[in-house]
Amino acid sequence: MKHLKLFLAAVCLALCFTAGAQSQDAMRLNEYLVVNTDDFQDDFGQQNAWIELFNSSYGTVDIAGCFLSDDPANLKKYAIPGGDIQTKIKPRQHVLFWADNQPYRGTFHVSFDLSDADEIIFTKGDGKTIIDRIKVRHDLPENVSFGRAMDGIGSVDGAGEGWAVMERTSPSTNNTLVDKAAKPDRMKALDPYGWILALTAMSVVFLALILLYFIFKAIGNANIRAGKKRAAAVAGTDVKESQYGEIPGEVYAAIATAMHLYLQDDEGHDEESFVVTLHHTDRTYSPWSSKIYTLRETPVVNKRR
Amino acid sequence: MGHIIENLRQFWQFTGFANFEWGYLIMIAIGCLFIFLAIKYEWEPMLLVPIGFGILIGNIPLFAGLNVGVYEEGSVLNILYQGVQRGFYPPLIFLGIGAMTDFSSLIANPKLLLIGAAAQFGIFGAYAISLALGFDAAQAGAIGIIGGADGPTAIFLSSRLAPTLMGAIAVSAYSYMALVPVIQPPIMRLLTTKKERLIRMKPPRPVSPTEKKLFPIIGFLLTAFIVPSGIPLLGMLFFGNLLKESGVTKRLANTASGPLVDIVTILIGVTVGASTQASQFLRWESVKIFIIGALSFVIATFAGVLFVKFFNLFLKEGNKINPLIGNSGVSAVPDAARVSNNVGLEYDPKNYLLMHAMGPNVAGVIGSAVAAGMLLGFLG
Repeated sequence: MKHLKLFLAAVCLALCFTAGAQSQDAMRLNEYLVVNTDDFQDDFGQQNAWIELFNSSYGTVDIAGCFLSDDPANLKKYAIPGGDIQTKIKPRQHVLFWADNQPYRGTFHVSFDLSDADEIIFTKGDGKTIIDRIKVRHDLPENVSFGRAMDGIGSVDGAGEGWAVMERTSPSTNNTLVDKAAKPDRMKALDPYGWILALTAMSVVFLALILLYFIFKAIGNANIRAGKKRAAAVAGTDVKESQYGEIPGEVYAAIATAMHLYLQDDEGHDEESFVVTLHHTDRTYSPWSSKIYTLRETPVVNKRR
Repeated sequence: MGHIIENLRQFWQFTGFANFEWGYLIMIAIGCLFIFLAIKYEWEPMLLVPIGFGILIGNIPLFAGLNVGVYEEGSVLNILYQGVQRGFYPPLIFLGIGAMTDFSSLIANPKLLLIGAAAQFGIFGAYAISLALGFDAAQAGAIGIIGGADGPTAIFLSSRLAPTLMGAIAVSAYSYMALVPVIQPPIMRLLTTKKERLIRMKPPRPVSPTEKKLFPIIGFLLTAFIVPSGIPLLGMLFFGNLLKESGVTKRLANTASGPLVDIVTILIGVTVGASTQASQFLRWESVKIFIIGALSFVIATFAGVLFVKFFNLFLKEGNKINPLIGNSGVSAVPDAARVSNNVGLEYDPKNYLLMHAMGPNVAGVIGSAVAAGMLLGFLG
């Protein structure tokens, strides 16, 4: 019971972490462009300011019902509409909003532009909890964006920590190019001797197998209790716990060997363990199947006198 | 006449003799050695015969353009090799392993799972050594998995993390798996006292069919939720086991554990062998991989045995575990368990450890798949 409680606590904890990671809290303002004269075009072929959001979690996040605003006094300036499948942002993916003050053009066109905005604020569905905010810089040249140096990394309080002027705009894609070799290289730089990875991975291996241990310990105990109850019901007496441990291994070995020998042809039983089904075998008589007609008679030597 | 001579000269250029290099001869000798070890000493013959012959196939001297080599796109061998390169043979082998594995001893005594976890130190010890020897992190991860003593997992991971080293890693993993009876016993004797070797463990309790049916389902859900990158291996392993234990899919279980796994074993063995072309294989890196591979098995055995000794400190008298089953935490099934049993019998002819050792042995299969998933998650 104690183990079961521990396990349930661990599962709850894991679920809490999972739920947290996949909530709207994981969304980040990731990049914006104020003056767009020669950059990305929207579906209408127009160049406008844009705001990029990034899902920093490893689960899909639905941002329907969240708010974007440029006014701290009115956090609900643009409500992201529901009912659009594109508001479900896949893990580690981006979404682009056009700050063109033309919300009737679709889900991803907000009701303000950035020409006079001091700040961009992304607010949770409750309309009060600010998830991320960033000051708008108006000193940047045309077609130069401002964004997080690494996707999703940096401050969320408007201080701009982790933000930088981008070498190139990257709407709806990674701010930094991630190539195949970068991940192992970063890992080696971070952990040159391999101890961090070893400890982390071993902890996970142990965690997985310890959880499995607790589950099957609990299931095993429940099974033993049920078995004892069944045995007691059959015998009409209580069965002592120690009796289970007292059956020597040789007995099991003998039973197993006997069953193996009996069932050697692999046709005698139809369920894997503990159940032996003996099928009645019909041998209908027919002269065609009768062996006696197929046997040759033993030669008899006739001695002539 | 001149035309005929010209044709004969061209024909000579095609032959293996004209393209001969000493590297090929060395590899052919290695292939013959594998076949000899498999036939003479029956060391992992199901693996060493296909790999050994694959080495012969892959090391016939050729010139590029004949479209027969394993690395020539579109050749028959190349098409068969896709199962290795793209990593779909290993999960199929895991399906078969699942369908032929009986997890009863583990379910009966689930604390043996922890030994299977401890032995995975071999993987990460080898990872650290590989980094120290100058391999990059992805290559080190692929080399480290040799310590899991699991051929399909090694192939699966190296195809993702370090395809150029796959031949050396696979051959190293399978070679040391075959050498488990040689590598492990001296370490086991070194680390245990005579008193410890004589520990008799409680016989495992009977396991109900319901528990056996639940194990693959719960085992998969739990491990896959924790390490989703291990799903191809873990999913197929537990699925195969469910086919076996469900009792209603006997035909499927028989196919998975019989003809299917045999076919894939042949294909994986031959193509991995063929991928060890001298030009790809005979490099200083391969020598280093073989050295690290040996060390990884040693570390895994050390970790498994020492973990049992440590674990025994917390167990009551009568519940103690014989440390000779610690080596079985590597997933060389059932060779490692057989080694535990044989070494145990040397000291007590009536102390059969085989069933107890099978617990950590199959736990090692799960543990190495989880560890592979972790490496893939961090480095892939």
